[in-house]
Amino acid sequence: MSYFFQLVVSGIVVGSIYALSALGFVLIYKSSRVLNIAHGQIIAAGAFITYALTVWAGISIYISFLLSVVITFFLAMSVERIFLRRLIGEPIISVIMVTIGLMSIIDGLVYLTPFGTENFSFPAFLPKTPITFGGVSISWTQLVGVIITTILIASFSWFFKRSTIGVSMRAVSDDQLASMSVGISVPKVFGLAWATAGLSAAAAGSIIGNITGLNFDTLHAFGITVFPVVILGGLDSIIGAVVAGIIMGLIQQFAAGYLDGHWGLYGTADVLPYIILLVILLFKPHGLFGIHEIERV
Amino acid sequence: MKKTSVIVLTLMIAFALAFTWSCAKEEEKPVAEAKKEEVMMADAPQVYKLGLSLAITGPTSDAGNPYSKGVEDYFRYANETKILGEDTIECFIRDDQYKTDVTKRNFEDFMTEGIVFYLNYSTGSTLGLKRDFEEEKIAVVPASFHAGNLDDSNYIFLPIASYSKQMIGLAEYVATNHAGDTPKVALFIHPSAFGRGPVEDTKKAVEKGLKIDIVEVVEHGKDLDNTATLQRLQSKGVQYVICHTVQSPVATLIKDAERQGMVAGEFGEAGKITFLGAHYTGGNDLIALAGSAANNYFWSTSYTLTSEAGPGTAAQLDLAKRYGRDDKAANSHNYTNGVMVAQIATEVLRRAKASGKPITRESLYDEMLAMNGYNAFYPLTTVGPVTYSQSDKEGVDELQIYRVEEGVFRAVGAPFMPEFAMKM
Repeated sequence: MSYFFQLVVSGIVVGSIYALSALGFVLIYKSSRVLNIAHGQIIAAGAFITYALTVWAGISIYISFLLSVVITFFLAMSVERIFLRRLIGEPIISVIMVTIGLMSIIDGLVYLTPFGTENFSFPAFLPKTPITFGGVSISWTQLVGVIITTILIASFSWFFKRSTIGVSMRAVSDDQLASMSVGISVPKVFGLAWATAGLSAAAAGSIIGNITGLNFDTLHAFGITVFPVVILGGLDSIIGAVVAGIIMGLIQQFAAGYLDGHWGLYGTADVLPYIILLVILLFKPHGLFGIHEIERV
Repeated sequence: MKKTSVIVLTLMIAFALAFTWSCAKEEEKPVAEAKKEEVMMADAPQVYKLGLSLAITGPTSDAGNPYSKGVEDYFRYANETKILGEDTIECFIRDDQYKTDVTKRNFEDFMTEGIVFYLNYSTGSTLGLKRDFEEEKIAVVPASFHAGNLDDSNYIFLPIASYSKQMIGLAEYVATNHAGDTPKVALFIHPSAFGRGPVEDTKKAVEKGLKIDIVEVVEHGKDLDNTATLQRLQSKGVQYVICHTVQSPVATLIKDAERQGMVAGEFGEAGKITFLGAHYTGGNDLIALAGSAANNYFWSTSYTLTSEAGPGTAAQLDLAKRYGRDDKAANSHNYTNGVMVAQIATEVLRRAKASGKPITRESLYDEMLAMNGYNAFYPLTTVGPVTYSQSDKEGVDELQIYRVEEGVFRAVGAPFMPEFAMKM
């Protein structure tokens, strides 16, 4: 039975990290209806900034993490200001193409640094002995990852539901023209959406980097890995990202634990999330929590 | 108008006459003078053109980047120390970002430049360009040690033992050193042709009598947590995991195993798992990524490591220092890999030149095939000699097992040749 609970715990840990990584997609889509293809690169950049501040600048990892989140917040905001602000009102596909270009630019810039071609590892800062309870273990790195994810997701949920700016962002997502007519600054909302997405990406990158080590390919690939999570949860739902993340995490762990290696099955942990995604989308094309818009004429 | 036409016509006739006269004068040149010019041309320093296309950026560039530095530094060294006398090597090095289509374009450009020897990189592009190499009849040394590169190929030469040989070598090491019944082994591989290649060969070795029980073959994904996989393997009694992939997934696997107290402190420790891996799973990057979890990791390669003092490693460190490389590149086994393939290319050029042959693709290919017996090449950066022949296209046949001890790879025993690999 402890095996089952171990898989549940591992599934939740992995799922919550997926949810945090998926959050950046959701935050941008929620306010601007744009899918940021360069999100994986921003995740990687956040992780590298934390590492550089910790190891090269010699700052405590806790402060480096906070600084990295702040730096990435402004970095993402600048990206929106420089590259995307002029595209407000243009077809969405144009903006998505710009994010593809952005992905190549960030790739190129990272390759100019040692992070593009070398592997790094965060210095150990948490106890090595895992927390074990009833035969189920969880590492401190994973636990801290889950705690940070929970705090960030709760904060964003509150922000969008209760704060004036959050409600403005939802309004812009709903109808840009109507929002402008009631005095909401659409460009500011877009900037803020990118900035908050950058913030969540830096947090996700730092957590993933602590688990896998810092390798650019591994880190930026998470932008694609979490894509089924984003689609399954619904592109514009924070709670959807959380639920879908945990579902995917659990499916992967159960598939690896119970299916792989039996009945001639291998690699189901990688395939099953996509199969389930397809099945769910057949019945709920907007994802589990996505808004289904109905236009009546 | 008529006047202009006459002038143009006159000029054209004059030009044609002048051209015919100059050609006639050229033909009249005395035979002795022509011969003298030919000799002078032959005595003039030659520039031999080579090409290397690899992933300096993009996927696997953590290996490709130091590899390219090794190649660049050694050719520079060969030119400066006049290994080829006054002749020099010009090696075109281009980034292909691990994309086969870009590699193909680079290779075609290099051919237009007139290269006589080619260094390739990835498994995918080596397999993809196999036909091109055959058509161009050019000797190729890739950074991929995939045994399948050699199928239906005459011109590809692996620098060291193939991945299959490495995996069989590791399995043999397990079978020889394991105490008790037949050891239960899992293979942890990259989900690609690169990863799958050696699995069948290892299974064939088992059929031929290699005493291991392959319990499971695990193709990894982008896993953040390998708990389920590790617990499943342990529940099946797996005592050894042989990895054939890149460092990052292995680092995550052994970190998870360490967290669950599964990593064997000594080889074959009962109730624990001993992790082993082929060339691209190891090296200093694995230690950087996995930290203390890398301790007691067993790794096979045919290269010498800078953590073990020797003439080859000293020369490698001097070379890196000479060209201002940082410690990370200087101590990378991928830098060694790059230096070694450049050494092979330089050596065949030197041998062809010494035997008075013209330096062509054909003569260099012949020199590669003749590199055996008394003509074997000892580059010092490897644990055995480089030998090639028509039937042997794997350069260094010996393997060395290294083990991580307190964060450093240390040699375990002497270099060996996998017995079962020879039987296949």
